[in-house]
Amino acid sequence: MHVEEDTFHDRLDWGLWRQVFRHALPYKRYVIGLSVAAVILAICDASFALITRWAVDDVSAAVEAGESFSAWPYVGAYLGLAVTLAVGVRSFIIFAGSLSHHMSHDVRRATFTRIQELEMSYFDHRPTGWLISRLTSDCDKLSRIIAWSLLDLVWSSSLIVAISVILLSLNFKLGLIVIGVVPPLLVVSSWFQKRLLLSSRETRKYNSFITASFSEGLQGLKTTKTFVREAANLDEFKGLSDKMYQFSVRNALQSSVFIPIVLTIGSVAAGTVLWVGGGDYLAGMLSLGTLIAFIFYAGQFFEPINQIAAIMVQLQGAQAAGERVLNLLATEPKILDSEEVLRRMRDNGPEVRESPELAPDGHAHFIGEIEFRKVDFAYEDKEPVLTDFNLTVKAGQTIALVGASGGGKSTIVSLLARFYEPSAGGVYINGVEYRQRSLDWYQSNLGIVLQSPHLFAGTVKENILYGRLDATDAEVEQAARLVNAHAFIEKLENGYDTPVGEGGNRLSTGQKQLVSFARAILANPQIFIMDEATSSIDTETEALIQKGLHAILHGRISFVIAHRLSTIRSADRILVIDKGKIIESGSHSELIGHRGHYHALYTRQFRRETEAQVMDRVRG
Amino acid sequence: MTTEEDSKKGRTVREVAGIAWGLMRGFRLRFVLAIAAMLMATAFRYMVPLVASGTIDFALGSGNGTSRVVDFMERFVVRDWLAGHLWAAGLVMVGLTASAGLFNFFKGKLAAEASDGIARRLKNRLYDHLQRLPMRFHDQAETGDLVQRCTSDVETLRLAISTQVVEVSHALILMGTALPLMFLLDSRMAVASFVLIGPIILFGYFYIKRVRRLFQKFDEAEGKVTAIVQENLTGLRVVRAFRRQDYELEKFSHPNKEYRDLGLRLIRLMAAYWSISDLVALSQNAIVLGLGVHFISQGSLTVGTLFAFIMLLNLVLWPVRQMGRTLTELGKSFVSIGRIQEILEEPEEDRLPVTQAESGRGHIVARDLTFSHGDGQVALQSVSFEARPGETLAILGPSGSGKSTLMHVLLRLYDYQSGSLTYDGVEMKELDRHWCRHQFGTVMQEPFLFSKTIIENIRLGRPSAQEEEVMRVAEMAHIHDTIHRFPARYKTLVGERGVTLSGGQRQRVALARALLREAPVLLLDDALSAVDTETEELIISALKKRHGKMTTLVIAHRLSTLAHADRVIVMDKGRIIQSGTHEELCARGGLYRRLWEIQSRVEGQRTKDEGQRTKVQGLETEVEP
Repeated sequence: MHVEEDTFHDRLDWGLWRQVFRHALPYKRYVIGLSVAAVILAICDASFALITRWAVDDVSAAVEAGESFSAWPYVGAYLGLAVTLAVGVRSFIIFAGSLSHHMSHDVRRATFTRIQELEMSYFDHRPTGWLISRLTSDCDKLSRIIAWSLLDLVWSSSLIVAISVILLSLNFKLGLIVIGVVPPLLVVSSWFQKRLLLSSRETRKYNSFITASFSEGLQGLKTTKTFVREAANLDEFKGLSDKMYQFSVRNALQSSVFIPIVLTIGSVAAGTVLWVGGGDYLAGMLSLGTLIAFIFYAGQFFEPINQIAAIMVQLQGAQAAGERVLNLLATEPKILDSEEVLRRMRDNGPEVRESPELAPDGHAHFIGEIEFRKVDFAYEDKEPVLTDFNLTVKAGQTIALVGASGGGKSTIVSLLARFYEPSAGGVYINGVEYRQRSLDWYQSNLGIVLQSPHLFAGTVKENILYGRLDATDAEVEQAARLVNAHAFIEKLENGYDTPVGEGGNRLSTGQKQLVSFARAILANPQIFIMDEATSSIDTETEALIQKGLHAILHGRISFVIAHRLSTIRSADRILVIDKGKIIESGSHSELIGHRGHYHALYTRQFRRETEAQVMDRVRG
Repeated sequence: MTTEEDSKKGRTVREVAGIAWGLMRGFRLRFVLAIAAMLMATAFRYMVPLVASGTIDFALGSGNGTSRVVDFMERFVVRDWLAGHLWAAGLVMVGLTASAGLFNFFKGKLAAEASDGIARRLKNRLYDHLQRLPMRFHDQAETGDLVQRCTSDVETLRLAISTQVVEVSHALILMGTALPLMFLLDSRMAVASFVLIGPIILFGYFYIKRVRRLFQKFDEAEGKVTAIVQENLTGLRVVRAFRRQDYELEKFSHPNKEYRDLGLRLIRLMAAYWSISDLVALSQNAIVLGLGVHFISQGSLTVGTLFAFIMLLNLVLWPVRQMGRTLTELGKSFVSIGRIQEILEEPEEDRLPVTQAESGRGHIVARDLTFSHGDGQVALQSVSFEARPGETLAILGPSGSGKSTLMHVLLRLYDYQSGSLTYDGVEMKELDRHWCRHQFGTVMQEPFLFSKTIIENIRLGRPSAQEEEVMRVAEMAHIHDTIHRFPARYKTLVGERGVTLSGGQRQRVALARALLREAPVLLLDDALSAVDTETEELIISALKKRHGKMTTLVIAHRLSTLAHADRVIVMDKGRIIQSGTHEELCARGGLYRRLWEIQSRVEGQRTKDEGQRTKVQGLETEVEP
């Protein structure tokens, strides 16, 4: 998992939290409910000591007067309060929990949706692990903090207010003494809470380093053994575990200093009450019950104040998470249908929508020609990858792109797929710039097969169905047959219903390739784009793949980033791409005659493939 | 993921306790002191309500009826003095709380030092132990599972020692001392104070145990959401390629909802748990209060004693309410100890005393070497060859023919079953593994680089090497210029947090690392497969200059890599099918010669000017089946 630690903000950004809180608004009833529950709870918490005081005073008076005394009213009142409190506890947990889970669900859904809409360039500099943390831990963290800190905040402040009111109305002088400990408690609490948060964060950071170190150590074990690195590795690891020990112990020390200090401050209040209040009692100015109640209250102040300090620190700590999620939600996708296209699609009547010849945007559905006209492209303020790139492809043609990696082949197909858009110039479909066409229509008519085919963790059938969700079983099988995948699929344990494992890793690379072909052909795209695999596959599967590939290429506009000779040779046109330019172009026989770059490239690949074939034949 | 089923061996509580006791070695005294400090802290905390109650009854004279505290105080303090100097009672309260705090601090410090110390030592031990377990073990183990045992399970254990054991002892000590103290104060009230304590503990224990299953489900649901998100992000291009965003959203919606709904169910159960346990605890208070005032009205109890009871009860109630939870958590740590112990019980690779000089000459002889991974298939069958010091031996063959296995056996990663393998005339089985490994500089097929800087990765070959030496081997491996193009040059971090090197770049860094080692033997296992042809040729000519200085074993798929070898062996299905010098093999015919022919004919193509196309195409038809 991606290791990342939030920066700690010294200042609370209330504006940010207000924005985060906006996501709680659809659940206003929970917010109100938990606030009411928290207030009730605080009042109950504050009232128990009052009942004790009431009982003690009454029983003292009764004894003095020699009257009979029944304990039942007091027990009844106490139990009544206890039931109220229990109901309060139950409802606040339910309200806060519901708010938190609902909010987390909604924010996660909104973030997921936004990620689906964002253009590819957004993902260039954001590792998968980073994005996963945004959708999982950040969403949970934010909604948990919003719900529970709201609750604690309401409960704590109500309790402080309730106790203060009770104390001051019972006895103003003693009340002031007890309330006097609030400021030092608050200062001490926030000082320690911040340090606790920082040291626990450091502990977690080193813990994740340790986890990473264990898994790296296991992955690189052979290297460690062959280089006899065991001792050096252990030394490095000890450095990490020492650090973790240090911060973990520091965290424990901080809390074992913190709690006693706070309790001692509380006991100063209680001691002072005993001293001053005891004197007042002796002077007849105070009842015994009140005195006892005051000593109780002096101890009760600590909890809510500690909570408030903790919330402030938590909000400071989670601010970075809030910023990241809000930023993600606020990022507008750059590649989407223009206002004009959207308007056109809205205004189009049923004659357009139901016509098989027309796309939803009113233009022709059939793609007869694709043209790159004076295309420039650069990835986010970096060196230009393509400059003044021109190319026209007619229906039915297959284009092979060859050349050294980093020359711009992938950029060309990414632009074609409209994963990126040209920074200057344009890509024209039947003479219309593709930004004037519906994005959804256009991309639905593309079939793309990637170099390392990615399958989802479902069955073989589900993966093929990804090409066209409403296809029948017969159509799935037909697609598989067309690309020569049927034979191996049938031999699998459960045929088409065999699960392929995470990322398809239960199938071989060649098999994954074949399934991804079936998926692509089921979609029956007008334009087919393929990035051919470079890795070696055994000759038998390779032959199957080649046959399958020809089935797909047949009759559509195809762009292939090609490595295999047979793919290259079967193309109508071969483009040798270097440094963002077409340096050679033509058919295989034309280019071989040139004896230029293509010739050199071809010869090298030819030798590799032939050697591999001979090597394989040893087995046969 | 930590479930009881994971642990293969069932262990008795007694065994687990024995293992735990062993793990605590060296920290036992600290632990005992921590519990002693906790006892002291508890004692001081008890005294606070007693002082308050005594002062109320004694100095303030609320008492009608008798109180043991009052009797006690009468013996030591003059009533009128205390009444006049009430601040002293207040001061004693502060003093007692502070003393309790001081001992609490000691308790916290000692418990943390002990538990974190144990965890640190255990992690170090596991790390080292895993490094020293044989490859056979690691071939079968799952990395994720091992990492989890070494991290989460150790953490569970640490928490058990630092928190749960301490909390259980705390609760036991509290109950063990509060009970007699309460009986001393007033036995009727003491009985009343403990009526509901038992039910609270039992309720907590059984409830949490039940809820734990739901917690597990909740964790699984979270895992499902993460998995879907991860799949969506890793398959991002496929999603876009088929314009399946809406479908993906739908796929995500269900687990996301389920995760939420399970969370809501859990919340409802937890709400019930906390409210009921609060209600029972408060009822306990109500009983004490009601009975207390009743006894006061009868004259058989003082106000101060009631006060002391209420305060003491509050001290005991909280840890007792936590008990149910604590006990179930403690149960988890039993499983963890078992899982950790399973790793520790695995035997490490054996070592032998080293009698040889630090580095040998690099003379390798194999006679009828046979090896099997133990899966019934023979990976090496009667393999015989010799590589004399300074010679280059090339090994050729299709994938799966046993070439890499041969390298692994040479490196003593696996033990050969029969035949003989000698190094400088000594049987390798009789040599120390680490010494043997010191004799080789190795580049594996898919070399592993650590997430350190490039220079640190190269220095792995020889940690004492000077910077100039590192650069020299980097130049030889043709990676120096590439490194210089990185912003941080040799200090560039490799891996996720730094630059991602291509396969060819990784192989070249690994080659530099192996060359730096200056070992008597260089092992290259298809070490340049991802390097482009031109660079490969440059590297090979650089390596040729070293010819004669070190014994070199080269595995390759491509002939060009091995043409300069002194001798070539061709392997298939674990056997050597051809061997000899380049000339001999070319003369003899077979696989080697056919490869060589293809190679030289295609090479020839490049230099000839005429009839290019026809010739190349002619060749194709010749090799195609």
